[in-house]
This record gives sequence, C-alpha cells and structure tokens, in this order.
Amino acid sequence: MNKAARIWAALAAPGAFWLLFFFAVPFYAVACVAFGSVDPIFRDAIPQWNPLNWSFGEFNAVFSSVTSGPLRGVFARTIVYVISAMIICFAIGFPVAYYLARHAGKRRMLLLLLIIAPFWVNYLMRMLAWVNLLSPSGLFSRFVGIFGVQYNWLDGSPITVILGLVYGYIPFLILPLYATLERLDWRLVEAARDLGATSRQAFRVVTVPMAKAGVAAAAILIALPMFGDYYTNDLLSRSPKTEMLGNQIDFYINNSSQPQRGAVLVIMLSTLLLVALSWYLRSTSRIGKERVR
Amino acid sequence: MERRDFLKTLFATTGGIIIGPSILAACGGTTTSSSTGLIIGTPDSPVTLPLVGEPIADGLTNEGGTIEILNWADYTNPEVIADFEKAFGVTVKQSIYDNEDAAIAKLRNGTLKPDLIIGMTDTAIARLMAAELIQPLNHSYIPNKTNLLTGLQNPYYDQGAQYTMAQFIYGNGIGYRKDRIDPSELAAQGYDAMWNSAYNGKLAVIDSYRDTISLALLQAGVTDVNSGDADILAAAKENLIRLRDATSPKVDIISYQELPAGNRDIAYMWSGDILLAPFYLPEGTTADVLGFWYPDTTITANDFFCIPMTSAKPVVAHQMINYLLDNDVAVKNQSYVGYQPALTSVTAESLINSGVIPESLVDAVVDDTKYQAGKRITSLTPETDALWNDVWTTFTAG
Repeated sequence: MNKAARIWAALAAPGAFWLLFFFAVPFYAVACVAFGSVDPIFRDAIPQWNPLNWSFGEFNAVFSSVTSGPLRGVFARTIVYVISAMIICFAIGFPVAYYLARHAGKRRMLLLLLIIAPFWVNYLMRMLAWVNLLSPSGLFSRFVGIFGVQYNWLDGSPITVILGLVYGYIPFLILPLYATLERLDWRLVEAARDLGATSRQAFRVVTVPMAKAGVAAAAILIALPMFGDYYTNDLLSRSPKTEMLGNQIDFYINNSSQPQRGAVLVIMLSTLLLVALSWYLRSTSRIGKERVR
Repeated sequence: MERRDFLKTLFATTGGIIIGPSILAACGGTTTSSSTGLIIGTPDSPVTLPLVGEPIADGLTNEGGTIEILNWADYTNPEVIADFEKAFGVTVKQSIYDNEDAAIAKLRNGTLKPDLIIGMTDTAIARLMAAELIQPLNHSYIPNKTNLLTGLQNPYYDQGAQYTMAQFIYGNGIGYRKDRIDPSELAAQGYDAMWNSAYNGKLAVIDSYRDTISLALLQAGVTDVNSGDADILAAAKENLIRLRDATSPKVDIISYQELPAGNRDIAYMWSGDILLAPFYLPEGTTADVLGFWYPDTTITANDFFCIPMTSAKPVVAHQMINYLLDNDVAVKNQSYVGYQPALTSVTAESLINSGVIPESLVDAVVDDTKYQAGKRITSLTPETDALWNDVWTTFTAG
C-alpha cells in the first residue's frame, strides 16, 4: 500500500469502525434478546449475552409461523407492498430525476427545492394531513367524487397504504437518482444517437446501464425503511387486511409478553435485507469493474 | 425466611394469586425483576397488599415548588391543573406515557421519577408492588376519598386502598350511529352486531388484545375474561377470525373521533371514549346521532392514582389526589377528559343536567351496580399471556 492509500485508509478507519460498532453491537443485542428469555413479572426481555446459552424456542415458533402460520401472510404482504411501492416510486421518480438532470436548466435548483420542501414537514403531520384529505368527507375524496369515483380510501385499503409508502419515501429515491444521472457522461448518449440509435435505444442501451448503480442505491435506500415501516399502515389503515411486518414487531416489542418474538422478526427481516444489500454491493462492484475495463 | 417460604406465607395471608413458580425460576438469573411476589387480586379473591415502607406522617406542610406527574396524554383538564397550581402555590410538570409496561420499565430504571402517577390500572399494580415502586398513602390527606363509589373505597386489587385511590371508571360496550343503525335493532343483536356483515368496512374494535379477545369470549357466552384454557382461547381465535372476515374491522383506539366524524357506524369501545365523542361532532351535527349499547355482561374497570416510592413531593401529591376527587373538580375534569369520575355524586342525571354528557349517551354512564356486576380484566400469568398474544397476532395478521 502506498503512502497516499495508507493516509486514506487511516482517515476512513474511525468512520468505518464507528459504523461497524453501531451496527454490530445493536445487532448482537437484538440477537441476545431474540434468543434470551422474558422476565415473568415485568414482561421485559432478559437478553442472554452468552451465545452458548441461547434458546431457540421462540425462533422456531416464529419461523414456523412465517413458513406455515399467520405470519406467512404478513411477510408476503409486506414484500408485495414494498415492491409495489418501489415500482410506483421508480415510475414517478425516474422521469423527475431525469428531467432535473438533463432538461431543468437554470430552474434545476428551484425545482429540486420544490420537490424537497414538503418533506421538511414532519412525517406524522403529513400523514395525518392525508388522513384528513382521504376521509369520506375530506377534500380529496370529494374532489374525485366529482368524477364519479366513490372509494373509501381509509377503509383498510392496500392501495392507500402503498400510496402512503410512495409518498413518504419518494424523495429518498429522487435525490440519489438525480445525483447519479446528473454525473453521467451524456456525450456517450450523443455518440449513440450519432451512430444511429433512436432515443429509446440510447436510453435503454446507454443511459440505463450507466445509471444502474444509482438505481440500485435508490432502491436499497427506500426499501430498507419501507420493510420496517409500521406507522404508515397505523395512520392510513390500521386494518388486519393491511398488517405489515413492522406492525407485528411493534406489537411484540411494545405490547406483548413476548418481546423475543419481535427481536426474532427483526433478525429475519435484517437477514432478508442483508441479502438485498449484498446483491447491491455485488452489482455496484461489477459495474465498477466494467467501467475500469 | 427463605424466599420460597415468604411467597408461600404471602399467598396464605393475602389470598389472591401469586405467580410463584415463575418468579422462583426468574430468580435464578441476574434479573432484578422482583424482591417480592406478584400478587394478583380478583373480585372473587381480593388482596390486601403487604406494607412496604411507611406512609408519610400526618399534618406535614406542602413542599411547594414543582410537582412532576406521570399521566396519559390529555388525561387531566389543563384548567383543573391551573386551578390546583393557584390553590396550592405549586407548579405542575407532566410527563406522558402511552403504555403501562414501558412506564413501569422507566420507573424501575430511574428514567422517570415522578411525584404522582395518574391512570394506571389494576393490571399494573401487581408489578408496581413487585418492584416496590409505590408508597402507602396517608388517608388523612385525602378526605375526599369518601366521595368515591363504595366499592372503590376498598378495591379488590388493593383492599383498604392502601396504595391507590381510584379515579375514573368505565365499562365496555358498543358505540354506534343512531342515524344509521336503529337502536332497537342493535339492542336485539347485542354482541352479535359486531359480527354482522352489514357493517362491513364501517366497524372497529379496540386495539387492545385483552379487550377485543374478551369481546369474542363474551359474545360466545364465556364470562371468564382471564381464561387460560387453550381450547377456549382457540375458540375465541376462530370467533375473531369470523368477525374479521365478516366485517373487515379497523383495530384502533380512535373511535371517539371516527364515530362522530361519520367515518364508521359501529365500534366496540370503552364507555369513557363514547362520552368524549360529542366533542368531535362536526358543526351542525347534534349528539343525538350517537348511541351506546351497554351489555348486561361486560367488562368494567377503573384507573387510579398512586405515589411513587421516590416521590420528592409526597404531600403535594396527596393534596393533588384529594383535589381531583373533589366532586366539582372531578366533573370539571370530566368535561375535558370524557372519562367518568368514580364518584357517588356523579350520576347519569347529574351529568346530563350539568350538560357534561348528552342524553343520548345515558347508557354509557357506569354506576356502582354496573361496576360491581362487570367482569374484570386482571394480570395473566406469562404462559396464559402468551396464549392471548397468539390469538391476537393471528387476528391482526389478516
């Protein structure tokens, strides 16, 4: 390692250690709760810090519920909601980020500011505002009613929860996408056009592959919090029909005498997300290597 | 005395239920869970709690300064608090809790150090006692104790009201919109109304596993709302799944807003919540649209005041309890909180005459007879609680 590399490694070390420490320690604590026991009187979790004494009874119970019990539906529903919300986020967010990066010109910063501005308001307040707008007597419901749309948005509707997730997380998709697209070498797209590609072909063959890393980063960035989200469902639905994994974790941790089950669900969810994150890291490293070639 | 012997003695002298084996099992670890037994009183087996510490002496003067109270959100009328501050020359600072277990955990680890706790229920007292978190009361500071309903002057969970003083009282029932559901039709259906698919999408149950699973038990004619029988609970689970499939219920605690707003027609509710509902009626809608069906067999409950062992202002805390049990102050408090004070003077007639509640909600008022006839939700053993949790997660998993 040359001197410059050593200096950079030394500069990165505290941050890396910080991140590792604050990931590894809480994760180990969650595992100790998941494989620990519960105070029979106070219903508090008693973490088992010694892995040799871990008890897997609750893990097995939750695993069996996830594979063949009531939690199977909750897991499947959460995955469907998150994937649906991500698809809608990309359908809305990619054109916006593309426009900002390529065509917004002098108005770019203003538009960016306008997109972000609503999100300066507290998440809870924004969702409560939607509850008001979407209630049967709310402005939005009355407005769409003019066009003959009679729909009870707050009647435990999956659509409302998915749209709530989209609304809550879309800026976190637009910003990294914009940052990626803005730095693309657009001369390559122009070269493709000069060589006879249609605009659609140039987009598919040149723009999309170059933006892959940004797309993956944006997807991961919104998927991670969406999977653990429980308050969107709490505020916009609160119906068993739309129960998400986060709601079950919330119940087990805050209101039940089985906090270990909540911790087990956290571990299962984290494992799922780690798989997704590994895919992201692999794909970005592959893209990096391709670029170097 | 060995701990095991102590628990045996406690059981013999106090009656009630002690979760002995579980406690003993827990004592093997490093947990600081308990230095005494978990004593659970029931109406059939009232308990006299063992004395831990001494009450404050008689005739002490008010400590002055700031008293910190631990309370539910919006659970004491701000005007009443301001009046108390003025009358006693103190400042009241509130901390809010939204979960008894979490509050007890914070009291145990010292995160919260209030001088007075408002609103805990009898499902919490066993744990408050086990951790020695509350101190005995000195009744000489609380002459208004005699205003309480007779039964609550000597509650089953704390015979002699040694540690607690009751505050609000309520019963579970069905709140509904009279302009959408005929009262006689609802009365004829009774609990079955909650399973009626005609109300699909317009119905809600309480986001409390104890209350809603009890609804399924009561509808099926099971009156033991603390049952640990796996077969009975399995049947309750099936019953709740039927309710879910027939009515697509909301599971929350905001029916006091949603019912008056017209967003739902019917909801299983605490009577205190329906008494609060008129405040949320849209302009131009009268309280006549609200109704409450009070079942013959239902759950009744109350909450209470208690003073932490670590209270730095126990005299002011006693004075505040006494103040809030004053007949006039209690009614003023109810006009904001909605929940009904557990006082003899508070009757349906007095509440209607003073304009605190509308006539349409007269059935939501709980008197001593109703309170005594009600079933009580009490603490469950961990094993039984796990069974109840399973029923609930299956129901909410959709």
